[in-house]
Amino acid sequence: MNRLTVVSIAVLITIALFVVVGPLLWTIPPEATDPAHALAGAGAAHPLGTDELGRDVLSRLAHGGQVTLLVGVAAMLAALVLGVVIGGFAGFYGGWADSLLMRFTDAMLAVPSFFLILVVITVIGSGPLPLILVIGGLSWMPVARVVYGETLRWKQAEFVLAARSLGTAPLRILARHILPQTIPSLVVSATLGVAYAILTESAVSYLGLGVQPPTPSWGNMLQRAQQYVFTAPVLAIYPGLAITVLVLAFNFLGDGLRDRFDPRARTGRA
Amino acid sequence: MVDDEAVGTFIARRVVVGALVVVFVSALTFFFVNLAPGGPASIMRIDVTSEQRDTLIRQMGLDRPVLQRYGEWLGGAVRGDLGTSLLTDEPVARRIGDRLPNTLLLAGTALLLSLLVGIPVGIMQALRRNGPLDHVLSVVSAVGLAIPVFWLGIVLILVFAVTLRVLPSAGVVTVGNGSPGDRLAHLVLPAFALATTILPTVVRFMRSALLEVLDAEYLRTATAKGLAHRIVVTRHALKNALIPVVSAVGALVPRLLGGTVVTEAVFGWPGMGRLALEAATGRDYTLVTGITVVTAAIAVATSILVDLIYTRLDPRVRLA
Amino acid sequence: MRQLARIRLLSALAFSVVLVGSACAPGATPAGGGSGAPAGAPVAGGTVTIPIVADPTLNPWSPNAFVESLFVNRVLFDGLTKPGKDLAPAPDLAASWETSADGLSWTFKLREGVKWSDGKPFTADDVAFTFNDIVLQKDLGAQNRGNFAAVNKVTAVNATTVKFDLSRPFAALASYLAYNAGIVPKHVLSADPLKTTSFNKGIPVSTGPYKVEKYTSGESVVLTRNDNYFGTKPLLDKVVFSVVPDANTQIAQALAGDIGIMILDNKAAVDRIKSAPNVGIVSRPLVQYYWLALNQTDPRFTDVRVRQAFVDAIDRNAIIKSVELGYGSIANSPISPALSAYYDKSLASKYPYDPAKAKSLLAEAGWTPGADGVLMKDGKPFRFTMDVGQKGVLEPVNALIQQDLKKIGVVADLNTMEWNSYIQKVVVRREYTASVNWWTYPSDPDVFPYYHSTAAGKGFNIPGYLDPKLDDLLVQGQATADLEKRKAVYTKLQAYTAETLPYLFLWYPEEVDVVSKRLHGVPELGLRDAVHYIGEWWMTKQ
Repeated sequence: MNRLTVVSIAVLITIALFVVVGPLLWTIPPEATDPAHALAGAGAAHPLGTDELGRDVLSRLAHGGQVTLLVGVAAMLAALVLGVVIGGFAGFYGGWADSLLMRFTDAMLAVPSFFLILVVITVIGSGPLPLILVIGGLSWMPVARVVYGETLRWKQAEFVLAARSLGTAPLRILARHILPQTIPSLVVSATLGVAYAILTESAVSYLGLGVQPPTPSWGNMLQRAQQYVFTAPVLAIYPGLAITVLVLAFNFLGDGLRDRFDPRARTGRA
Repeated sequence: MVDDEAVGTFIARRVVVGALVVVFVSALTFFFVNLAPGGPASIMRIDVTSEQRDTLIRQMGLDRPVLQRYGEWLGGAVRGDLGTSLLTDEPVARRIGDRLPNTLLLAGTALLLSLLVGIPVGIMQALRRNGPLDHVLSVVSAVGLAIPVFWLGIVLILVFAVTLRVLPSAGVVTVGNGSPGDRLAHLVLPAFALATTILPTVVRFMRSALLEVLDAEYLRTATAKGLAHRIVVTRHALKNALIPVVSAVGALVPRLLGGTVVTEAVFGWPGMGRLALEAATGRDYTLVTGITVVTAAIAVATSILVDLIYTRLDPRVRLA
Repeated sequence: MRQLARIRLLSALAFSVVLVGSACAPGATPAGGGSGAPAGAPVAGGTVTIPIVADPTLNPWSPNAFVESLFVNRVLFDGLTKPGKDLAPAPDLAASWETSADGLSWTFKLREGVKWSDGKPFTADDVAFTFNDIVLQKDLGAQNRGNFAAVNKVTAVNATTVKFDLSRPFAALASYLAYNAGIVPKHVLSADPLKTTSFNKGIPVSTGPYKVEKYTSGESVVLTRNDNYFGTKPLLDKVVFSVVPDANTQIAQALAGDIGIMILDNKAAVDRIKSAPNVGIVSRPLVQYYWLALNQTDPRFTDVRVRQAFVDAIDRNAIIKSVELGYGSIANSPISPALSAYYDKSLASKYPYDPAKAKSLLAEAGWTPGADGVLMKDGKPFRFTMDVGQKGVLEPVNALIQQDLKKIGVVADLNTMEWNSYIQKVVVRREYTASVNWWTYPSDPDVFPYYHSTAAGKGFNIPGYLDPKLDDLLVQGQATADLEKRKAVYTKLQAYTAETLPYLFLWYPEEVDVVSKRLHGVPELGLRDAVHYIGEWWMTKQ
């Protein structure tokens, strides 16, 4: 495992600890206002200072990170499930299932998903759950392609043919013998998927359609902070930096895992 | 070389499938946006009376069933009429036509920038594989990929427009100016910000594609003829390595177009992305549908074009 | 003509109060631009740039003319009257007016020799057309038609005289005619008054000091001098409304010196702007107030003690300080200090921040603290949802109110929604319990549409407050033409609403304008009113 991968894992663990354990130790509620001490600088009471309503930035970062990570990971899982089902079926059954599902996948890939996300989010409303469903529902296509390719590859493998000759049910073959082979590629897709989902959440929240205040998320913290960019730019620095570091860590981790699982790709991390 | 008949069939098939995709997208958008809570911004105002609201709903025909309205819209759309914008009474096609050139300019410049910078950087990294420069540039492009584009936009405005005052912060031209130099100055920051969303991917694709080809080429030729032919080999490899990059660029276009929404919002760029946001939040049903359809059509056309280029570049590719 | 004399008197009175008032306002120091600071004699020439957030619709009656269109339309389309520099109605296309004794008929004498920007003469027919064929046409759904609900019909008596026939006395008519009620040309719009896009989104025919030269979607609307203008030749060569949707970008442009004057929506940036050398800050009172509506279909909120307790519990000074950066004052009635002739400032101190008093009032009303500190009555906790629309300062204001209510044991859950969905839920369907919003109204104390019981449920009476005594005061105010008597009615109305709290009044916001130090001659009015005087603005040379 290369150094960047190790560092990424360390960073991700740190962030996870910060957002999960942090709120247990640092107990100022993220929504507690204190207008008398608005926009305070860093100090003992507020290690990262306060925002425009005197709310503790450290606490908001920790709670906001929970939401951001939750949306990122859950959206990725949703995309994974959809992608595995669609790609697996298309690759395994072939024929019309293949044509139909993969043409659909291509079609969805061709549509600028961000436009659709905007449209759909205005319909089903904003908040963590709709975001998870929308981002997941519009980002499964790369997963489907990977699973499709892998399924095609493993379909003809000897142990699959052997299972088939033993009369194992097709669905069972798919679930027990083929899909497990795709796990390494899926892990890579998953890590990169989280990164994508987090960036999408922050962009949607920035446009005011994402996680709604007072629930903090790194994306909507940035949206609020934007108003103070001339007078208190530090408010925009923290969540922006947090998103960048988190996404960076997931991307490096994905690259590292790919190198590990797929020696062919070691030379070139595409 | 692929024969022309095969190319003809290929194009015809892709165009039919593409058209179906566009219709599918239009239906999806039309029904979804009509399901959205709220209504056109003209009636969703606090200072409109309920009597006015009812009148306007009737006027816009929104009291009729969605299916019927979609049927009418589709009927018009196949004849090239994308309907009338609910919020300005202008033809949707004209509203899009007003903004599309700006978006194409922005996205095109970002794409060009990504290719002009991305391909050489990728080549450089591949040729100096695992050297310090390769590592540094890898990290730089990873960071570029991780920065939220709107955040980068704000920072760019703060640095170059507010603090240094060397570049304008928003718009396509200074009103009353409009010289090429002025237009170019307005383009710099948004195009750069938008380019960061795909440039790192171009770099990575170029680097890995070239490495893959180089490895294969070296195995075959370098041992046979010695390292003296390195330059020839590299040149040859480069041509082969560009093929996957071309196809990758096709896949990046939807992402680029999606990125214009946020970029245009930050830089006040009067393009389709901003129009899409206005249309979605203002519930201009026909405009939203029109924009999605046009965007999807562009994406589909690009992918067909890329596949065509692909087949020209690589005779081994079978047209499927 | 006794009416006219009275209008002048009111103007003089109000003007002096405005001057005194603005001198006390925070940050109202003349900062070169716009305010009274002399900068030599006015010179002709130059261009002023004003940012707007979206493409305007150049027709004051189009339902699609949103707030960004106001600025442009007020420059282009003269009304019969315009807001005077004291906000009282002043002559514009009408030179004078009088009312019949029963208040049911108003006659306006039009200015002579007025021409449209295309050279055609402006006549009483244009006025009759604007009202009879646009505003009063139910099927058109013209914007602001609700403001003229009392008007039956408008008759062109002769080329320069129009008569308004009313169904009930409506003392505020002249003020309402000054409020987004521009006259549009019959000879251009008679075929399709509201949807002629070559007019609305192109080059309209207008009477104002400037006319449209070029409309570029998403970029700008460029105005140039209207050589047919009836008034004094305007000083500026051009007026550019540039479309800049992002508030930060507007600020960046102002700092870069690219903007003549703009409303600073994001008051958080005020300190940064104060430190800039080329622009100044001025603040103006607005005819606007923020409120918290408590749905009167919820029995908990019909008890006046509960409403009063909420006002006691909300630290409104803290809201003004943190959200408005100090630009605003506490509101306890719907009449804004900008309407200085009517505003009763003695009410400002009626509800000082007092959580202890809030608690005791709630205890009187039967709400006592439960085990977790949350107030209980009949075994149920005091808990409800506040719907928050995503616009302007509403989100942070709600966050502050939520915390203030928490301190007295009331749990308010915030449900933040995108604006469009919010309006549908709260305003159209009235499916809400509590919500904060604001009213902006014409410069007249007639607040009938927002408070009368006939406006509950479907009209602008958002809380659905029903009170015959208040109804009575509202009708009296409409029927009273005499200024002194009218003032007495509205003083009573202010005291009454402050006591009964149909809405929980929060604060009167002030507008903060960023003004280039090169720009002069802007009257001391909110920018939306000051554009009526754009012909007097001028720029010093660079």
